Amino acid sequence: MSTAIVLPEALKKMGFPRLIISGFLLVLFILTPFVGVDLPTQITNIINRFSWNAVLVLAMVPMIHAGCGLNFGLPLAIICGLLGGTLSIQLGFTGPMSFVMAVLIATPFAVILGGGYGLLLNRIKGGEMMIATYVGFSVMSFFCMMWLLLPYSSPTMVYGLSGNGLRPTISLDGFYNQTLARLLEIDFAKIAAALHISLGPLERIKIPTGSLIAFALLAFLMWAFLHTKTGTAMTAVGSNAAFARAAGINVDRTRMLSVIMSTWLGAMGILMYQQGFGFIQLYNAPNNLTMPTVAAILIGGASVNKASIPNVIIGTILFQGIVTMTPTVMNSAIHMDMSEVIRIIVSQGMILYALTRKAEGAK
Amino acid sequence: MKAKRRILFSLLLVLLLVGVAAAMMVIGRGHTVYFDNKTLEDYQGQTYKAFEKVVVTVKGEEVAKLSKRDRGMSIWIGQNFKMILEVTREKGGESEIHEIDLKLPYSVDGIVVNLPALLAGLPEEAWYSEFVPAVTEEPVDEGVPGEGDEFGLGGDMGLEGELGLEDGLGDV
Amino acid sequence: MSRKTNLPAGKRALELVQNNAVPIMFIIICAVFIPMAGFSPSYLLNEIVTRMGRNLFLVLCLLFPIMAGMGLNFAMTLGAMGAEIAIILVADWQIWGIPGVVLAMILSIPFSALLGFICGTLQNMAKGREMITSYIINFFINGWYQLIVLYIMGAIVPIAHASIMLPRGYGIRNTVSLLNMRQCLDDLLAIRVAGVKIPVFTFLLVALLCLFIVWFRRTKLGQDMRAVGQDLEVAKAAGINVDRTRIISVVMSTVCAGFGMVIYLQNIGNLPTYTGHAQIGMFCIAALLVGGASVEKAGIGNAFLGVILFHLMFIVAPGAGAFITGDSMVGEYFRVFLSYGVITLALIMYEAKKRMVRSKAGQELAEAQTKKEDA
Repeated sequence: MSTAIVLPEALKKMGFPRLIISGFLLVLFILTPFVGVDLPTQITNIINRFSWNAVLVLAMVPMIHAGCGLNFGLPLAIICGLLGGTLSIQLGFTGPMSFVMAVLIATPFAVILGGGYGLLLNRIKGGEMMIATYVGFSVMSFFCMMWLLLPYSSPTMVYGLSGNGLRPTISLDGFYNQTLARLLEIDFAKIAAALHISLGPLERIKIPTGSLIAFALLAFLMWAFLHTKTGTAMTAVGSNAAFARAAGINVDRTRMLSVIMSTWLGAMGILMYQQGFGFIQLYNAPNNLTMPTVAAILIGGASVNKASIPNVIIGTILFQGIVTMTPTVMNSAIHMDMSEVIRIIVSQGMILYALTRKAEGAK
Repeated sequence: MKAKRRILFSLLLVLLLVGVAAAMMVIGRGHTVYFDNKTLEDYQGQTYKAFEKVVVTVKGEEVAKLSKRDRGMSIWIGQNFKMILEVTREKGGESEIHEIDLKLPYSVDGIVVNLPALLAGLPEEAWYSEFVPAVTEEPVDEGVPGEGDEFGLGGDMGLEGELGLEDGLGDV
Repeated sequence: MSRKTNLPAGKRALELVQNNAVPIMFIIICAVFIPMAGFSPSYLLNEIVTRMGRNLFLVLCLLFPIMAGMGLNFAMTLGAMGAEIAIILVADWQIWGIPGVVLAMILSIPFSALLGFICGTLQNMAKGREMITSYIINFFINGWYQLIVLYIMGAIVPIAHASIMLPRGYGIRNTVSLLNMRQCLDDLLAIRVAGVKIPVFTFLLVALLCLFIVWFRRTKLGQDMRAVGQDLEVAKAAGINVDRTRIISVVMSTVCAGFGMVIYLQNIGNLPTYTGHAQIGMFCIAALLVGGASVEKAGIGNAFLGVILFHLMFIVAPGAGAFITGDSMVGEYFRVFLSYGVITLALIMYEAKKRMVRSKAGQELAEAQTKKEDA
């Protein structure tokens, strides 16, 4: 009797859309052996994609906490990371050093641009999300011009013929491709070879330990920060700005700090993404990551003004799981790749669901 | 009373729209008419020879000038097809003018008319045939959304693509 | 208005500039760019007239939700999608010419109305953030649109002609040719003045919509809509069914957008199945804002001025960009930047103003309270 009451309660807490999405992913997993898809490869892919995207999703957390809503202005943060990456290569750094330099160079940009962005968002409280979207677009299209006009000259990055203007896709081979992923990488195939044993299908699993550790570190710092005095102040601002102001918290400053943190994490996120993916993508590419990132944290259980680290982790796994599994499983099962459409409907539907929920509407 | 009138009014409006739509479906059906100036061999023991020259005029516009074994075409909206033929039967002969009215079948896109047979007053099965477009297999695989690479690993998650700068921004 | 006439001329001029900063900025941009781009005046005029015929109807349909205080309707693309589905069907049924256009318009009504109803309902669930919601709805419905066009059409909905179907046997091709209805509205009654083709009939349709908007504002429903737009609570107290009125405004907008899209597509002459609607929303909104509209106030004049200025900029920007930097891509990006920038600016101004009004009201309330306490 009691379980019958407890179970719906737990399900309710999980939320209807999340339930569907988890169920869908579960079905995909169950289907894998029947349609002849290799599960270990899929798991490796999910882990990999998790390591690329998790930091970007983490970047959503500070702004949600401070009540700035979902950061649809992610392209701005990504631009900071792109500046870091391209400048690091331009200055001639190679190998792992280029990654360190990219991080270092991206930081001041993130602080300055994030600061300006924060100032702006403080002036338009209540309409953050719409404006964030268009600030992201504006900055991105402005930098589309800049990529062509800035005096970059590194031959690996500029158009070969004219010699000026950056290429849309820049390979990171020789720079920070897989820098973190290779760090302490666990490759079951190599372990098996070293021990002269066969691990069967497990051999196809590879774990990018370095990337995961980097994410874990950032996530832990985030968690720790949220438990400091400033962090709790941020949460207070997010849940009730008037109350926070009465308690003597400088609301505008706290919000600004959250925006800067979000921007910096976003910049780190795109660098992590690039080191896993192996390419820098410029021009309109920053735009492509916004919706998946926002959708991921919402799928993980966050709402427009509430988010936690577990939301980030669960959301990224679920979303990337669907992104990875749907095309392969569907292709093998019915020879019809509807993954793109499913991805759009799932992610946008999730965002829509979060936006239209009454309980969270009254802020 | 007022509510009743409103319902009646909206019902009438819907009916009107459906009526207009149905009318449009009838009068707007487009057909492509092809004219063959070809010899019809051995139709019930007789051969109808191709004309030396036929000039086809549709809606006051000269759409085709056919020599022997030529094919011309014209588009026509609706089912009552009208054309004017200026036929020269023999080389150097006088041309004669025929006004032709045809009833086009609604469900057929392309209609081929054999002019010599038609002008000889033969039954429909002699001069009428359906145009079957040759199936052309394009080797080029069109890049359709949803038919992406393995995992959309291109990083382009394709969720947005709001400003496909490459595709026809000028057409806005 | 009478108050303004009392101000000195200089101050009045300044006010005029302040209130119309965006159009003036665009006039300056166009004035600088036109000589750089080096197009002949007749070419520019021709292009502008064509684009006015093509886009005005779409831009005007944004006015309804603004009237109801729901801001810029980013989900007007829903109407465009409805129209695209209708056009695909009409193209497959081989209904050509003006009957084809009329049929596509009628056929688009149920699709657009349904989508508009969904959109309005969702926006009612997200009061206070209608715009971002409409923006997301646009992507969400785009997913369903792709599902229908890519997988259902040809598989479940019969599509007879291989020329519009993908070779695999279901789904619609990237482009559907509308050659047989190309510019049939534009050519009707078209006149040529000094080499410029004026699509009189299309303009007549636009004029009809303008008249409708002017008339509609005076009807009971139009008055209700404006009341809802001014203040939700007051309107509710006055006995207006707020939710219903808002849904009607969105449905009207979406249905008009459907008609507008049919006009747009017959002018272009082919349907880019998967990209056709994506940019419509943004460009129409940018055009309206360039015309001096704001998020809460927009008129027919804004739409006209906006389409002229925005498209003039759009035509000359690549050429001017090439002239300045030697790279026409810079110009392409520049015009995109300007479109986004203008929307961003309008949104910021709207939100800042809203907040100012709110904080002013709050201050007054606080003052009144302290006074009461003092007493």
